[in-house]
Amino acid sequence: MKNKKTQIKEGIQFHQIETNKFKTNLFAIFITLPLTRENVTKDALLTAILRRGTKNLATQEEISKTLEEMYGAGFDCGIEKSGDYHTIKFYLEVINEEFLPEKENLSQKGLALLFDIAFNPYTEKEAFQEQYVVQEKENLKQIIEGKIDNKANYALERCIEEMYQGKPYGLYKYGYREDLETITAKDLYAYYLEVIQKSKIDIFASGQLEANLEEIVKENPNIQKLQPRNVNLSIEENKEEQIQVKEIIENMEVTQGKLVIGLDVLAKQKNVTYITMLYNTILGVGSNAKLFQNVREKASLAYTCSSNYSKRKQIIMIRAGIEIENYEKALQIIKQQLEDMKKGEFTQEDIQNAKNLIFSTIANIEEEQDTEISYYFGQELAKSNVTIEEYRKKIEEITKEQIVELAKKIEINTIYFLRD
Amino acid sequence: MKVIESLKIKEKVYIEQFENGLTVLLVPKTTTNKKYAIWGTHFGSIDNHFIMPETKEEVYVPDGVAHFLEHKMFEQENGKNSLDTLMALGVDANAYTTNDHTAYLFEATQHFEEALEELMDYVQHPYFTDENVEKEKGIIAQEIGMYDDDPAWQLYMNALDCLYKENAIKIDIAGTVESISKIDKEVLYKCYNTFYHPSNMVMVVCGNFEVEEMLKKIKAKLIEKPKQGEIKRIYAPAEKEIHKPYKETQMEVSQPAFIVGFKDRVEAENMVQRHIAIEILMNMLLGKSSPLYQQLYQEGILLAQPDLDYEFTKEYAHVLFSGQSKEPKKVQEALLKEIQRQKENFDQTHFERMKKKVYGDYVVEYNNIADIARMLLADYLKQIQSFDYIEQFQSVTPEYTKQILQEVFDEKKCILSVVKAK
Repeated sequence: MKNKKTQIKEGIQFHQIETNKFKTNLFAIFITLPLTRENVTKDALLTAILRRGTKNLATQEEISKTLEEMYGAGFDCGIEKSGDYHTIKFYLEVINEEFLPEKENLSQKGLALLFDIAFNPYTEKEAFQEQYVVQEKENLKQIIEGKIDNKANYALERCIEEMYQGKPYGLYKYGYREDLETITAKDLYAYYLEVIQKSKIDIFASGQLEANLEEIVKENPNIQKLQPRNVNLSIEENKEEQIQVKEIIENMEVTQGKLVIGLDVLAKQKNVTYITMLYNTILGVGSNAKLFQNVREKASLAYTCSSNYSKRKQIIMIRAGIEIENYEKALQIIKQQLEDMKKGEFTQEDIQNAKNLIFSTIANIEEEQDTEISYYFGQELAKSNVTIEEYRKKIEEITKEQIVELAKKIEINTIYFLRD
Repeated sequence: MKVIESLKIKEKVYIEQFENGLTVLLVPKTTTNKKYAIWGTHFGSIDNHFIMPETKEEVYVPDGVAHFLEHKMFEQENGKNSLDTLMALGVDANAYTTNDHTAYLFEATQHFEEALEELMDYVQHPYFTDENVEKEKGIIAQEIGMYDDDPAWQLYMNALDCLYKENAIKIDIAGTVESISKIDKEVLYKCYNTFYHPSNMVMVVCGNFEVEEMLKKIKAKLIEKPKQGEIKRIYAPAEKEIHKPYKETQMEVSQPAFIVGFKDRVEAENMVQRHIAIEILMNMLLGKSSPLYQQLYQEGILLAQPDLDYEFTKEYAHVLFSGQSKEPKKVQEALLKEIQRQKENFDQTHFERMKKKVYGDYVVEYNNIADIARMLLADYLKQIQSFDYIEQFQSVTPEYTKQILQEVFDEKKCILSVVKAK
């Protein structure tokens, strides 16, 4: 097994991925908690506050200076939706010492700093620093308002929001402007303490790792103060077919219309995620895909038209940028592709092409440090343990019959169009 | 064959020039499962006026031709599209056009040989018809529409408009709906025959392979072409001064976006050292730990560290600071003040720290074979050997950097481009 997983404490896992492909070592901490309307904005605010200062390095300036001294160690943190969960992600990347002008062990230093940022924040009187909270609330407000800036992403967000009204997955990962006023530095800190003591924590290390890294992690004072926790993440609920397709048209100043179509995967067959991956690739990934061929190449209606599959939610999102007056025409062609999939109107060659594409995605996992970490984190969340070889084999075995069976259980949930 | 090795970064590049003029750069790496091949021609959006080497005909081409040609190269006489063929092999294929070059590339974990053959086939066999050229106009018009809605792109184009009066870098890479309407197959063939000659091209392959074998494979697929003389490219003369200090436009954005730019002179000497010094300086001025960034962040004027870029070829050179702010003018004023302060009071410790950071940034570039190959290609076309960024690093002194600060970050060469909210 390439990913060596050990439990540090109940609910806290340490994953070591040994690899010599990179000039860097990458460390990551993922804190996973339920996604709720009540806390969504606080989660996003936390990522912003934590990067402001630690007990040892009280200001962002000191943190930045420390990172720069470490040959520009890369630090980032952010927040992602993982199905109905919210994951706060921290990353720190350091250069492997063999590529430095003068030898220096940056890995231990980097890992300690990462723990400090995540688990040892700068506080004053049992609260986050007031000024930091005020500033970060303002910044987050602007990020939330900035949702409209990228029209294509905005359209995608809106479509998902419509598909999951009142449900966790419909929430915007950065939260909501109206929540910000009521969050105080004290409440947020209390919430933070609860988050780090109750949430699932996954720590990742990738690169040419030291043999005693596990000990180093266990002995880190920040890790020692974490309590064991019982975390049982639920797997997704069953989906039911929607009675009527939602169709939403909204206006904004755009020169190009942004069309988004959300599909539900209602199939329950064995290996459904792997079969859906193949279905999605034939439909909308790459230039051989039905969407690209028919919407762009044959009808010349779009520059982009593709689809994307979210495993955890069992949905496929189709996106196209089109001339506004071509809405009906594009929609009709896209619907026709879905019908053709149901009728099995695709060849063995289409299937093989799609498999080849997925094989290269699989082969690529190990070639990027963050992608490899994400893969193993996905396995962790899905409570599965599929190796990269097994993954490939599962794709290899899928037949046309299975894809057609699945296609019959794929239905449009929402059609969203952003136009002028 | 020439071999250049960097002991610091532990990489080697093998350089071979074939008889027909094609240059090949090979970077073998045993630790990856992948191979990445990129074939570039020194032909970009700025090359809109030139003299054909054989006929000596002087040609003006419509804006957006290089990019249009890139789109059309995939189409084959047998009705197939090479991009589809490559994707069907499971390789990740693509192409792109920049100001100064066009490149065709793919990345493979399997079927590399078939893919390389396909790449070399389609790049060497153009097939343009009236019909297929017409059809492409609709697709490219949509691509242009996509950029029209992109505030970041509009901001950048306006910054270039401030920096240059006549320079061809101001031409939108994709052209305009109007300019591409004038493109026909004759124009495409003229450009193809001029710029897609091996002597104007370079191929880079990076990944897991044997050098000699790879060279053989490439050689075997090259078709014979008569030697070609030099292509004379005609550009507007270099302008010392900026075009205008300020330009703004309004779009539906939540918050204004800005670019503060400084025009640099072209054809400066020691471009690698100059580039390193400028990167260090940009970081000293507005990097994460810089006093100015800390101040503007505290004041809520900057939300995130601006992007720092230095772009240059023989035809243009400029420094760009781009970000979002509710008060772009304040950012510019504060930056100019900070430049003045650092000119008078150069902080050596800060310099050493940013130098380390910039070194780390260069090393990280070598994490990914695609990044390596693309970097080698882009640098080669600028007549730069990429490893020099690592090798010459130590030679960038505080004294030299101070001198560059005085020279490049000049208030008279400063522009501001703003996209305002409606």
